[in-house]
Amino acid sequence: MAAVAELDDAVARVALELPLRANLSALDNIALIPLYQRHYDATEAGRQAHALLALLGHAEIAPLRDPDMTPAQRFVTQLARALMLKRPRLVIDRPGAILYDVPYPHFIRQLASQGDLTGTWEIFDFSWNQTLYSE
Amino acid sequence: MNFLAASIESLGAKIVRVLTVGYGLLAFLTEALSALLDRNTWNRATFNVVVKQVYFTAVQILPVFLTYVLVISWLMITIILTTARDFGLGQFASEMTIRVLVLELLPFLTALYIALRSGSAINTEIALMRVNNELDALAHCKVPPMPFEFLPRLISGVISVVALASLACLIAVMLGYLAIYGLNTSGFEYYTRTISKILDFKIMAGLFFKCALFGLAVTLIPITAGLETPKKLFMVPVSVLRGMMKVFFAIMVIEVVSLALKYI
Amino acid sequence: MNTFHFKVGLFTLATFLLGTAFLAYLLYARGYFENTYRLQLAAATADGVVPGVPLVFSGIEIGHVTSLGLNENGGIVIQVELPERHAKWLKQDSIYTLDKPLIGSVKISVDSGDLVGAALPENSTMLLLTPDINKEIPVLIAQVKAILANVEHLTRKESDVNATLANLKTVTGRMTGEYGMLEGVLGSPQNARAVTESLDKTRALMTKLDTLTAKTDQWLFARDGLADSTRESLAQVRLMLDDAQSSLKKADALMTNAVAISADVKAGTQDIAALRAEIDDAVRKANALVNEINKLWPFARDPEVKLP
Repeated sequence: MAAVAELDDAVARVALELPLRANLSALDNIALIPLYQRHYDATEAGRQAHALLALLGHAEIAPLRDPDMTPAQRFVTQLARALMLKRPRLVIDRPGAILYDVPYPHFIRQLASQGDLTGTWEIFDFSWNQTLYSE
Repeated sequence: MNFLAASIESLGAKIVRVLTVGYGLLAFLTEALSALLDRNTWNRATFNVVVKQVYFTAVQILPVFLTYVLVISWLMITIILTTARDFGLGQFASEMTIRVLVLELLPFLTALYIALRSGSAINTEIALMRVNNELDALAHCKVPPMPFEFLPRLISGVISVVALASLACLIAVMLGYLAIYGLNTSGFEYYTRTISKILDFKIMAGLFFKCALFGLAVTLIPITAGLETPKKLFMVPVSVLRGMMKVFFAIMVIEVVSLALKYI
Repeated sequence: MNTFHFKVGLFTLATFLLGTAFLAYLLYARGYFENTYRLQLAAATADGVVPGVPLVFSGIEIGHVTSLGLNENGGIVIQVELPERHAKWLKQDSIYTLDKPLIGSVKISVDSGDLVGAALPENSTMLLLTPDINKEIPVLIAQVKAILANVEHLTRKESDVNATLANLKTVTGRMTGEYGMLEGVLGSPQNARAVTESLDKTRALMTKLDTLTAKTDQWLFARDGLADSTRESLAQVRLMLDDAQSSLKKADALMTNAVAISADVKAGTQDIAALRAEIDDAVRKANALVNEINKLWPFARDPEVKLP
């Protein structure tokens, strides 16, 4: 597992150890990246973040803050943030730790089938959970 | 001999610790200043965070703070007036009021007030951000937390202390007049002259600078203290405790240095 | 409407406006919107005077010391600034005293006597007096000497007064001559009156000197008088005052004579005008001196210090 945490910065990660900023809404958490990394203005950054959430089919969580989210909503926001980074690889590290109350392989597959998302998502999980993915 | 060596070593360790803290503060301040001068920092979102922070630091507490200032000023003015009149020094009462309240006590109390209320909150929040890995997450996203987390807090600290201290001083000046002369204009000339004699340009600039430094101290030190928290939840209270001690110490140092500059 | 932003905006605006209003008030209080009137004070000692020491008129502060320094002759020059609206309290015959109370701060007080006198022009240099008798005596003696010299100068045989009188005699002589009447008509009667006025002033001064000498005696020979050295100095001053008095008496006699002469012809010359100016000057100086002595010597002061 340590190997995943040590992946370099070219990899966007979704992991329990990378929580959302607690006092910002889902939208603001995602918009931080275009805003402070790519220096878009606030409106444009917000628009991009909103578009991404809508693409994943969860536009309704935009105004929610971390403590008010369900595990699924939290996962979607983290995933959207990772997607927003636009890095060559995207790794989902032990999704079971975040999505503890939903059948997560199915949930992730459903998300991945939304809209016109491109690229591959790599999932790292415990070997004893392997059977869960055989759908 | 061993004892001597040990005490010298512990002294050295203490000095090194103090210097490290000082260096950390300076380095952080430099970083904050460069962020302040960076054009990219200044967008609508940062501005909104600053506004929000000013709201929480200054506007929200305004009614309570003003009441508190009224009570403290009234008490101090009454004490000064009574004592001065008892000793036959009534003509110095207005000067004493201004010197004690406006120049020293009220800015100091404002800084303490903000430190207790916002400084401790900032320290806890940053410590929790660190313990919860939120800062690591931001680092992973390559989003520097300076422009939307730290800098707005520093700016709001300076704005709030300067604004609240000036409001407090204005209240004290008016209250002082009312206490000495009552509701008439007879003492206006004399009071004006006293004020003009005490508050020359140098003193006003010094007062402003002191308040700005207070504002910086009560936000900068909690932020750095929060950032230094070890990643253990039980260390958060310890971090706040240490941070607040440092804030208190810094406020004392600023006050003493300003007094020394003024009267020596 | 965003209440957040509205409240913060309101707070910032209100604080800013109040702050600006206070700054404007402060600038007004410091006389920023008014012209500044400058005054120099020459003092024998600047003990306790620092920039910021107030200039007080009738217990009310009207200005303050801005700087002090030495002039070419080693004298102390104190620069005082006051708003123009307060300049009207300063008159040419105002007296400036350094006031060092036991409790409270040093201040310079102005006494303007009657307020109908001529206004003091800007940038004039006035004398600052120190109420410390021991320090003031040498200065006083020097002044008495100077005035005495002046009075003596007037009454010397070859002095202007005598020369003028001689002149007058010639004029009177001429009056009896062929063109005498013409000269007499040309001279104005005002000049003659001027001389009489000068004479009156001299007499008034002499009365003052009389009382002062009496006071000095009282002071010198009182039981709990001054220290021996001071006593000597004061005795010296007394002698000088006597001297001045006798000189002035001489001047008086001469003047009476002169008036008697000129009264005959009801005429004056330029010489008389000059003479009048000179005598007036001496009398004014002596007068100021007497005022000063009266003011400085604590004849009527309660030597006890009352603590609250």
